[in-house]
Amino acid sequence: MFSKKERREAGQGYLFLLPALLVLGVFVIAPILYAVFLSFHKVELIGGASYEFRGLDNFMKVTFDDRAIIALKNTAIYVAIVVPTQTFLALVLASSLNAGLKGQKFFRIVYFLPTLTSSAVLTLIFMWMYNQNGLINYVLKFLNLPTYNWIGDPDVALIAIMIMNIWATAPFFMVIYLAALQDIPDSHYEAAELDGAGPIQKFLHITVPNLRPVTSFVVIMGLIGTFQLFDQSYIFSGGSGGPNNSTLTVVLLIYQYAFKTLGTMGYATAIAFMLAIIILVATLLQRKFSKEESLY
Amino acid sequence: MRCKKWLSAIGISSLLLTTILTGCGNEEKSNSGKTEIVLSGWGGNPTEQKLLNEVLADFEKEHPHIDVKLNTISDQYMDVLKTRLIGGTAADVFYLDAFEAPALIETGAVEPLNKYVKEDFDLEDFEKPMLDAFKDGEELYGLPKDYSTLALFYNKKMFKEAGITEPPKTWEEMEDVAKKLTDHEKQVYGLGMLPQIERMYYMAESLGGEVITDGRATFADDKVVDAIQPVVDMQVKDKTAASPSEVGAGQSAGEMFGRGNAAMVMEGNWNIPFLEDTFPDLDYGTAELPTVNGEKRTMSFTVGYAMNAESEHKKESWELIQYLTGKEGMKKWTSKGFALPTRKSVAAELGYDQDELRGPLVSGAEYATVWQDGPTLPIVMNNFNNQFLSAYLGDRPLKEALKDAEKQANREIKVTE
Repeated sequence: MFSKKERREAGQGYLFLLPALLVLGVFVIAPILYAVFLSFHKVELIGGASYEFRGLDNFMKVTFDDRAIIALKNTAIYVAIVVPTQTFLALVLASSLNAGLKGQKFFRIVYFLPTLTSSAVLTLIFMWMYNQNGLINYVLKFLNLPTYNWIGDPDVALIAIMIMNIWATAPFFMVIYLAALQDIPDSHYEAAELDGAGPIQKFLHITVPNLRPVTSFVVIMGLIGTFQLFDQSYIFSGGSGGPNNSTLTVVLLIYQYAFKTLGTMGYATAIAFMLAIIILVATLLQRKFSKEESLY
Repeated sequence: MRCKKWLSAIGISSLLLTTILTGCGNEEKSNSGKTEIVLSGWGGNPTEQKLLNEVLADFEKEHPHIDVKLNTISDQYMDVLKTRLIGGTAADVFYLDAFEAPALIETGAVEPLNKYVKEDFDLEDFEKPMLDAFKDGEELYGLPKDYSTLALFYNKKMFKEAGITEPPKTWEEMEDVAKKLTDHEKQVYGLGMLPQIERMYYMAESLGGEVITDGRATFADDKVVDAIQPVVDMQVKDKTAASPSEVGAGQSAGEMFGRGNAAMVMEGNWNIPFLEDTFPDLDYGTAELPTVNGEKRTMSFTVGYAMNAESEHKKESWELIQYLTGKEGMKKWTSKGFALPTRKSVAAELGYDQDELRGPLVSGAEYATVWQDGPTLPIVMNNFNNQFLSAYLGDRPLKEALKDAEKQANREIKVTE
């Protein structure tokens, strides 16, 4: 089929690829395949690994596992609130920084600061502020507003994490928006002004459509990030997902099944796969509805 | 020319490969013919850590052929330990909380100890409940290094101001006293309590009910619900009790007590050094827990030394365990009062039963319920605590919450099978 020379060249090519292929194979592909294998078995890794084939059992178990359903519900609520809010907030912050106000460089730095904090440190700081006698309750009391037991009350614990996460991630997406905003040609705005468009009309009919591909990116990254919420709820609840399962997310549940209870590694990988599929579907749906390619 | 190309290609590839592989490599060196064994535990406070180092130094002096390396896992101890057991890098000897012991023993990762224990080691000397916590049938899988029971810590100043002369003897007395001590304006509650099953397990089974039967959760049983209803009532009806997080003390009842937000707490031995360090001016006393239905009851928490079944130095590991839980090692380890000795002879020698603060803790040992109830306890605990909280916050009746929790726990147990 191939000449000798072609084969040799291909061989050389693969030889140069070999290190990369090996690294990818050992650290990316093999773990995924192993996880697929695990998800069909009951696995006990401690004390001499034992595997017992269970077919689709692990996947079926989710239907009667109440905590899995709670975790899924919490994660869905979290995604549904956080993604739109942080996208909108990022857009508003970026536009305000792009409007040519005085001292915008200073504000650009200030707005971006939260992103620089590691999420573990951030969570600890917020936990101090959310404390019963902490800063947030102090301010609320000062303003004669109701105070909450943010960390201990199941009704508000997830909201507390939402606020924290929006505050921390919106600035990151703001920077992406800012870069995109500066790419929109001024001529569009000038033409609109000649046609008598006001600032709001310009925003809705020029800025927003022009940002569609970026918005699509921001939403997809946001979806992936929020579906994988783990560290904040882990630190917030000390790994338990409490109070009363209110901060239990899918990834936290996976962690609990993988490391806390013995013999449920297979079940944990099965949930992990289902989460991957959910994220994939959500991303595909987002792409289908945003029509990012049809801009120009 | 062509040959050169091939050579360079191979050269570069192998160079990259070696960099990767050396990154993963893990070389161990043994020094000067000594056998090195590793001991894993969690970190205590600095003084406690120093004490352990001293005990280990004494051991090394007596056993010159053994070199003990202490490896402290500071956070998420069990997770790290399990991961290391899977990876085959776990220590030879490690701490094992009785609560997690049955599940780990089931996997076969813990070495059975019966064949090592000799007559002169004197197993009879150990407090029986603490020893039984590490048994599966007749086989012993760990030796309790120390334990703590719960006792009632009370603030003497607050008691005096409220005109109460002595600590309450019964649960009913405590309810009355708590009413007198509560002052909502100053954020002072009569009783500070963590709403967790590990603190009320002894009450839960006081009316003859069972929290776990044959590995299944059965705590929605009326006997259990009625037994712990008083805990909820104090919080919801009387408003004389609170959990630490309600007053901003996180998860520490000891802190709540030390800061004066609670006049009484039910805590263990760990609270004594904590209060000494953090609140040195606090004037407090301890007493045995108030009786429930006229019976003396309390909880006991114990930790043991266990041996890794895959250890390559079992003989030396046993020597270490034997020393640490032997009369001499235990005496030294418990001499500063951070922990209570599980050997009766050592407790008598150190005189903790006469100690003003530790006396009530020691008297509790003989009637305490050990915090261990088979491999499903962690799941049961998690579900119980989750739902109990909603009852504790007054969101719904206790019976209803526990029914839900029981259903959920049993489903989860089924998932793990």
